[in-house]
Amino acid sequence: MQISWNWLNEYCRIPLSPEEAAARLTVTGCEVEDIHRPCEALRDLKVARIERLAAHPERPDLFVADLDTGGGQSRCVTAARNLKSGDWVPYGGPGSVIADGTVLGRRDFDSIVSEGMMLSAEEIGLPGIADEFGILRLPQGFSAGEDLVKALKLDDCILEVSITPNRGDLLSLIGLARECLGVIPGSSLKPADMGGPSIGGNWPLPWDGLCLEDPGCPLYGLSLAPSVRIEPSPMRTRIRLAFSGVRSINNVVDATNLVMLVTGQPLHAFDLDRLPAREITVRGAKEGERFTTLDSREHVLTDADLLITSGGVPVALAGIMGGENSEITADTKSVAFESAYFEPLRVSRTARRLGMGTEASYRFSRGVDPSRVLPTLSFLSNYLLGETGQRVEKEVRVARTRTWEKRRVALTRKKLHRVLLWDNMKEASSFLERLGLKEVGGSEERLEFEIPTARADLSIEEDLIEEVGRVRGYELVPSRIPPLLRGNGKVGDEVEAHRRIRITAMSRGYLEVVTYSFIHPRWTEWLRIPESDPRCHGFPLANPISQDQSVMRTTLLPGLLQALQTNIRSGWKDPIRLFEVGRVFLPAEKEGDEHREILRMAGIAWNGRDRRGLYDNSMKDDLLSVKADVLSLCQSRGLVPEFCAGREPFGHIGQTARIALDGEPSGYLMSLKPGILRELEIPGPLFAFEVDIESMLPDRGFRFGQVVRFPAVYRDISLIASLGTTVASVEQEIRALGGPLLRGAVLFDVYQGKGIPEGTRSLAFSLAYGDPSRTLRDQEVDEVHDALRRNLAEKGFILR
Amino acid sequence: MNAIQAKLEAIRNQYMEALVKADGSESLQALRVRYLGKKGELTQLLRSLGGLPPEERPMAGQALNELRQEVEASLERQAVLLAHAEDEAMEASDRVDVTLPPRGRGWGAFHPVVQTMNEIIDIFVGMGFSVAYGPEIEDDFHNFEALNIPPHHPARDMQDTFYLNSGKLLRTHTSPVEVRSMLKWGAPLRIIIPGKVYRRDSDQTHSPMFHQLEGLLIDEDVSLADLKGCLNTFVGAIFGRPLDSRFRASHFPFTEPSLEMDVECFACSGRNPACRICKGTGWLEILGCGMTHPNVLRYGGIDPDRYNGFAWGMGPDRVAMLKYGLTDLRVLFEGHGSFLTGGGY
Repeated sequence: MQISWNWLNEYCRIPLSPEEAAARLTVTGCEVEDIHRPCEALRDLKVARIERLAAHPERPDLFVADLDTGGGQSRCVTAARNLKSGDWVPYGGPGSVIADGTVLGRRDFDSIVSEGMMLSAEEIGLPGIADEFGILRLPQGFSAGEDLVKALKLDDCILEVSITPNRGDLLSLIGLARECLGVIPGSSLKPADMGGPSIGGNWPLPWDGLCLEDPGCPLYGLSLAPSVRIEPSPMRTRIRLAFSGVRSINNVVDATNLVMLVTGQPLHAFDLDRLPAREITVRGAKEGERFTTLDSREHVLTDADLLITSGGVPVALAGIMGGENSEITADTKSVAFESAYFEPLRVSRTARRLGMGTEASYRFSRGVDPSRVLPTLSFLSNYLLGETGQRVEKEVRVARTRTWEKRRVALTRKKLHRVLLWDNMKEASSFLERLGLKEVGGSEERLEFEIPTARADLSIEEDLIEEVGRVRGYELVPSRIPPLLRGNGKVGDEVEAHRRIRITAMSRGYLEVVTYSFIHPRWTEWLRIPESDPRCHGFPLANPISQDQSVMRTTLLPGLLQALQTNIRSGWKDPIRLFEVGRVFLPAEKEGDEHREILRMAGIAWNGRDRRGLYDNSMKDDLLSVKADVLSLCQSRGLVPEFCAGREPFGHIGQTARIALDGEPSGYLMSLKPGILRELEIPGPLFAFEVDIESMLPDRGFRFGQVVRFPAVYRDISLIASLGTTVASVEQEIRALGGPLLRGAVLFDVYQGKGIPEGTRSLAFSLAYGDPSRTLRDQEVDEVHDALRRNLAEKGFILR
Repeated sequence: MNAIQAKLEAIRNQYMEALVKADGSESLQALRVRYLGKKGELTQLLRSLGGLPPEERPMAGQALNELRQEVEASLERQAVLLAHAEDEAMEASDRVDVTLPPRGRGWGAFHPVVQTMNEIIDIFVGMGFSVAYGPEIEDDFHNFEALNIPPHHPARDMQDTFYLNSGKLLRTHTSPVEVRSMLKWGAPLRIIIPGKVYRRDSDQTHSPMFHQLEGLLIDEDVSLADLKGCLNTFVGAIFGRPLDSRFRASHFPFTEPSLEMDVECFACSGRNPACRICKGTGWLEILGCGMTHPNVLRYGGIDPDRYNGFAWGMGPDRVAMLKYGLTDLRVLFEGHGSFLTGGGY
């Protein structure tokens, strides 16, 4: 909201500079975001009178004006066509400066020299005050040579104020004036002239009545200007509106806006002759009812919307915007002014649904002061008569279905002290009184206050404590670390697990990334995830910003692949590994259950492309190097994963492993399908893993091994197994059959080819035998080893 | 000097000459054989001692033994010296240019926000807070109603909140976890809530997904002073030195009183009117906070007459951007290797 500093000072004298006042307002909760001076650049501009105006002798498109500039005469050439002799105009002589910083000089227009120029509204920095095309014509009443900035009171500054949604009362000059009184010491209030109107029906034309059918409008007042002349507003009004960021329309509409800026009460003007009937009824809209607002937009309404109707025909969307059918036009002769109270919820809901945030709906949504609804009509009538000479009938018509009691709220010493560690009740009371609250009784320990109707935000004791705290200043509250520590200094399992995992991943060369939780819906298709897979059923957003981010992810893989694509597209060629820890979102497992949010870790490793490097070949990742990463990541949390051959819809058929933790299926390790790589334009191969880490969260501690003091004795064993037999199963057999002395088995050779039957491979293990209490003799070892060989042979392995 | 002594002297001289010439372990071995071997010169001489007159034998024997010992010791010493020289020669010829690039995987890279979140967590855990988590897909009750955000409050706008078809929504702040935690653990309570939150907003300074870190302390007799103490301590810790702070009155539906905390610009301390970081104001808006609204306590099942508390919410993304001098929020979620590694490996 834009606030004219000079205008504000007409309602509250503030003994500070605008900057100082802005700083104080900001700290006390009414944030001043910016201060600017629209006419700051102007220098040496004057008011001048056109003595003579003649056509330029050579140029038919130009005029020559002789000006009385007070101390002398000046001649100006202009192209403007709206001038005549005797007009008063703003004038800048040679050396003066206009709004955009241009220094004016003398200019030759076909042998006639223009000394400076007459100015348009834009050239003095206020394009909004123009009421016609051309040079700005000033009202009578100035003297030639008068300083323009002083004459028009342009030496103003504008505070750009941001009002929090609870403080609807600050959306007006008198509200802000009260706030300034409350928070700026030494300021004094100059109350607005707001006498109550006389209520009655003595109008010079027939009127059938006001009817409130909907509780959404409990108070409605109407005043009448029976014969108006529609014309531009006076200069002063136009300047004030321009400084407040409001466009000037005509004297009647401007009056409603200007009065709203002062009192915070939105008004609406109806062309009385265009109302379908001489009556107003406020009612709820009918479902599907149509209405065209004065911005020419047609709306389809619901029964939650509130309408002003006349003769059964809607004429305004209550509290938001009037209708095209009764809008003020250049031909309007008589005007009815509406001032009403509309329920904030009703207005905000409709305004939001229809996307119609207007100055009026903004104020009604935040709640206007019900006690100001009718006085605003007398303020309007005073303004219209005083500033524009338009007469308004003395009596206003009013319909009312509710009255407002002033709320009472108590402040206790105990709670005040608890929050602020300060409890001077007398001082607290004086802070509140300056804000317009009234102490109405109580004791030293508990004071009761009457709350002005404008302050709908004050309803409980904590609200009063806030008022006292902010006015007194939060800088006066001491700062202390709260006593009674209740934590034990542990970060907890989830944080700890996440930390170990991320540090492990980073030390294995992974870059930690965070990608969006929502993805493109087609990822399931790109990854070939079938309907039957729960990962195919991510939650779609009802109102996404873009399709790219419209479905909640069910796997971390798309985010990582997308990040890789982004890198590749921007020219990244080096090998890269990315990892992420985050949640995926899956539908409930059975009807009625909650959705599932599962914490996962995932990583991808890509070997780069077309990149020269010293160790390229020896450093390339493959499925097994990434398997080592998965192993380390799990081990960092005390878990050893099991890997077995498996399938993933997006996994290379021959290079996909299922990962189990504690025997529970927990994820996959795979090389991405070559077909998918081609479609994603990722030069392969690409290895990826994704593991649920919920089971890794609890701290399992760590079990240390037994100290080995007697060396092991080593024997090798080499056997031939069918290609379908996994190394893990062979190793398992060896361990099972090796007896208690077998300490370990390490695979050291895999051979397949010449000398070995087709469909088989040779596996060679180095076996370690040992006893914890002594060194084994060769003979003992030979016996055990031979037994193992026999047993393996019995199981069908061919021993070499 | 008798004949045997002369002979020993001659052998010694001969040996010493040969020793100096020995240039490797093989020639040393040859010397050992030549003098000390079974048929070595000194061995043979020893055997010939029997032929000497008995009175000469002890002296000759002693002299011979001394020479034997000298030869043995010098051979050993020379062997060590030679081995050392051989090693050095071998090392010198097996040189690696240590400025060659390392082989193997280097350190990866951390994400600025995750890193910052972890630092913030440590600071508050040190002040006795515990970490709490909650769902990112929330319902209206926990995200709005229980936080005293009335129906049709601007914060509930379709414009700001992502909804699912089921009517559930993506939490717009971490505050619903406050309510869940109060209902779960009751008072007293001292928690921080890190996590992702979502709003329908996307430009250079807004991302539809971002992070929040929220805190809540509930106890008997909690004061704004406690809030100031915790947050001032946090600011000093995260930016590496105590920074001036100011608390401005503000408004949030779930706190009363509500405040905004600004900290002194760590870059210019308000001394540079053209400062890019604070835009010349000298202050950085860092978080919103306040005393928990009694209605929120009630929704959390906590008696507001007995307990009160404070809460705050901050954006770790913003803290990370300030800390690391970043300007575009969206870059944080794109996973650029060049960004994360500071320009490539």
